[in-house]
Amino acid sequence: MKPEAPMTAEQSLALITRMIDQAKGNVTRNAFYFLLWGWIVLIANLGMFVLIKLSYPYPFAIWLITIPAWAYTMYASFKRQKETSALTHLDSISGWLWITFGVCIITLIAFGYRINFQINPVILLFCSIPTFMSGVILRFTPLKFGGVMFWIFAIVSFIVGHEYQFLSGAAAIAFGYLVPGYLLKRKESQ
Amino acid sequence: MFDELDPLLHSQLRLAVMSLLISAEAAEFTFLKEKTNATAGNLSVQLDKLQEAGYITVEKSFKGKKPLTTCRITTKGIQAFEKYVNTLKQYINK
Repeated sequence: MKPEAPMTAEQSLALITRMIDQAKGNVTRNAFYFLLWGWIVLIANLGMFVLIKLSYPYPFAIWLITIPAWAYTMYASFKRQKETSALTHLDSISGWLWITFGVCIITLIAFGYRINFQINPVILLFCSIPTFMSGVILRFTPLKFGGVMFWIFAIVSFIVGHEYQFLSGAAAIAFGYLVPGYLLKRKESQ
Repeated sequence: MFDELDPLLHSQLRLAVMSLLISAEAAEFTFLKEKTNATAGNLSVQLDKLQEAGYITVEKSFKGKKPLTTCRITTKGIQAFEKYVNTLKQYINK
């Protein structure tokens, strides 16, 4: 790029638009996290349903499998942030959106005993917000669809009995994270 | 009567850098170099000019053993960029 070539007003505007588009295109896509959490939560939901059916006394123990996933997510995000060469506003918004979501979910789980552990539909409702908004940020319709699916299955969970909430949760995570996650992965590798 | 375009911004490379920084919170030297296709030497000179004007901050640190230069736009830079774009509109809408 020649620094001192004279520019017309139109050329200036075209340059600004092109550069802003370049920076926008830099938004990090995160198929990996959707797939990791999609599979972990799907297994936990189905496991919980099976353990309840088997009358196992501590079915909720299956959720312990999320602990390594939390640890790995924090490690991977920190590492990725260190490696990135430019942090756009949208990257930052997306990151904080998921962090606030994580804080709310952990709070809900920690104080679940105060509301008799009737937290499944609420968790699904919470999930719908960052998933839908990630679809908006990444301009990726399947994630918006995923957000809507979380909302629909939250309503289903409010209606069905406690044990069937885990099947509803498994369906929500399959449509909400896994389907968009695999589509996003395919888009990333293109 | 049109306002005068800020000569500091009315230069291809400096304008490109400011446009990238207006969209990013922080950008590394290598990112700016890649997106603008500028040479390292030329980019350094233009970054110095923008920094001297108070439009950007340039922070030098290390990533492991490699030197790392991170640029950020300042409030003064944002205001100058907005003024530049508004003046540009006068020229285009004439």
